[in-house]
Amino acid sequence: MKIMTCPINGPRPISEFITAGAVKPMPNPQTADDLTWADYVFNHDSVPGVKREWWCHTPSNTWFIAERHTRTDEIVRTYLWEAA
Amino acid sequence: MTLLTSPLADVLRSRPGTRQELNQMSVLTQVPDPKPAETLGLADLSYLTRFGVKGPQSASWLSAQSIPIPEQPNTWAALPEGGLIARLGRSEFLIEDGPDSQTVPRLAAACNSPPAQVYPVLRQDAAIALCGQATQNLLRQTCSFNFQSLNLTEHPVILTTMVGVTVTVIPQPKSHHPIYRIWCDNTFAPYLWQTLAEITTELGGTIIGTQDFIPYTGQMP
Repeated sequence: MKIMTCPINGPRPISEFITAGAVKPMPNPQTADDLTWADYVFNHDSVPGVKREWWCHTPSNTWFIAERHTRTDEIVRTYLWEAA
Repeated sequence: MTLLTSPLADVLRSRPGTRQELNQMSVLTQVPDPKPAETLGLADLSYLTRFGVKGPQSASWLSAQSIPIPEQPNTWAALPEGGLIARLGRSEFLIEDGPDSQTVPRLAAACNSPPAQVYPVLRQDAAIALCGQATQNLLRQTCSFNFQSLNLTEHPVILTTMVGVTVTVIPQPKSHHPIYRIWCDNTFAPYLWQTLAEITTELGGTIIGTQDFIPYTGQMP
């Protein structure tokens, strides 16, 4: 069983988690030009490596950041957004 | 007066036993043969009154209402008049009365006009209790969390899934075997109950009433 460590609830089976994708700073939709906004919406970094992702422990609704290697699926570390 | 309905009323309706009206709810209090509960007992405690509150100021508001606050997230504390308070994460709390305490009605009245950043949460959970020597066996079959790794003196609150249902679990150390209090969303309650009841029967246990459950609790917080 694959285990992920929630910063609040501790080690839990991966089935208790969902992910919401990579952490990407959003440009201001009021001021960004079309090219910048299209780049934010459509282009993603697909190069394998350690990526920062949003994850949620669903039973407690705890959202946090996980650093995960997208080639090996190794979870390097997890922490709350405030601790980033 | 309107009679309230337990989320488990339908699945318990055909169960033989004594019923009483407690907290405006018809409650199964005693069954003809509660003896197998020494092996494993399953009880519906949904009649206990509950109150939820969340928000950045919820801890200070509860302190002002003379409620003891568990310091760490995901821990619980007993209330002085009976019942318990569970800290769910950092800024959300579940308060449940014991059989004889009246803390929840007092808090609900005080929260009619809540201050800023204090938000009452409607709690219509199903409240289930497990007792007996085979509880660990049932938990191993239904849950991916290892409850035997817990230090119960730290009063842990576990938010996890049980047969796919999101549950809040509090193990309470008692004289022989810990009892397990389980809360879940009321819409999932019949499925969770029926699954737990089938496993309970397989393991030689039984469904019991609230009065039958008391010997396993001592002074229930």
